[in-house]
Amino acid sequence: MGVFVFLPLVLPLTAWPIARLAAQHLHPRTATRMLTWVAAVMAVCSTVCLCLVMVVGTATLPGNPLPDGWSDPEVREAVPYDEVVGKAAIPALCVVLLACARTLWRHTRTRRRAHRALEGLPDTEVAVLPDGTPYAYALPGTGPRRDRVVVTTALLDHLAPAERRALFAHERAHLAARHHRFLLAVRLAAHANPFLRPLHTAVSYAAERWADEEAARAVGDRRTVATAIGKAALASRAGGPPLPAFAAPGPVPRRVAALLAPAPATGPWPEVFTSAGLAAWGAAAGTAASAMSSANAAVTLFWILRTATPL
Amino acid sequence: MVEHSRHHRRRAQGELESLVLSALREADGPATAGWVKERLGEDLAYTTVITILTRLLAKGAVTRERAGRSFAWTPASDHAGLAAHRMRRVLDAESDREAVLASFVTGLGPDDERLLRELLRPPRSDGED
Repeated sequence: MGVFVFLPLVLPLTAWPIARLAAQHLHPRTATRMLTWVAAVMAVCSTVCLCLVMVVGTATLPGNPLPDGWSDPEVREAVPYDEVVGKAAIPALCVVLLACARTLWRHTRTRRRAHRALEGLPDTEVAVLPDGTPYAYALPGTGPRRDRVVVTTALLDHLAPAERRALFAHERAHLAARHHRFLLAVRLAAHANPFLRPLHTAVSYAAERWADEEAARAVGDRRTVATAIGKAALASRAGGPPLPAFAAPGPVPRRVAALLAPAPATGPWPEVFTSAGLAAWGAAAGTAASAMSSANAAVTLFWILRTATPL
Repeated sequence: MVEHSRHHRRRAQGELESLVLSALREADGPATAGWVKERLGEDLAYTTVITILTRLLAKGAVTRERAGRSFAWTPASDHAGLAAHRMRRVLDAESDREAVLASFVTGLGPDDERLLRELLRPPRSDGED
């Protein structure tokens, strides 16, 4: 398998231009789905290769529980620079697993706590909280608890009736399309391979844009949704707790600008020689290459280990 | 009995808080913990009721005043107010809440505010720009 075993570890580098192009040129729904799949496949491939390299690395350690045959020179030759890389893969894999476990745990914990905080309120879809801090978010249901939209009176006070409808439509779109799953998937992928981080940012943004477009469709007026987002952002800045700041221009003005522009086309799979086409086909090619080289490496190592294992 | 009240506490702190607050809100004026315990009718320990009332006090959902040797409790907010307080605690504890809860808007960068106001200026009627 040679150096190809390392390919899935570095192929996620292609995610950066892909994410950029897709966010600019694809419909947000297509971009969210495509980028999430690319991230998930590349993350799995990268982790598989890390495992393969780790097996070779572990087999050379004294006192390891693996069969003796696995440390044969033939096996070690399968992975270039096995001494260094193999041992480096062990802590790397531990970091990946720990980070993913921590993210999953915090995700479920926060959702559970948020639902518990709403106990005692009537079981309605929208929970209005009397709070001086303007905020709103979609809370996906867990187990028997239903999906909820949480919004504070402070935020509602800043919005006109049509803008409130836009806000609710936006949050409902998040819940209906299960956006939290996409977001969780790309977060885990970014832990599996740090080169996939641009996809995390891109998917977060694309999911917001997707919900914005759904809201615009539901309300029937793009400008109303744009105004609602703008007002909500300005209100949060005035009285809210500090939120993470982004390098200018941040996602909120870009969302507003996109809503003030005409609706994005929801056409079929784009042509190759357009920017959108380059993004889509580039993503498909990169993912396929990543999947194939990690499959190739996995199969090769499997056969080498199988021959090296005394039966 | 102890086992039972511990089970209650584990099951749903929030639920018990809501129950106690409901009971207080049905009272005519300030009520004692004993009254709340009787009113709820469940096999809640007196100390459990006190614990919950103290927790509600910390959340600003009830107030209390001395009445002889014990306290008389008055509701200060409704269920929505209590929920709002609890939700703020959840959000404040979660440093990276964007990760879990899809907020309507994210924070604004240094230049974003000016950009936003420019974008949201009402369109001119003459159709220029």
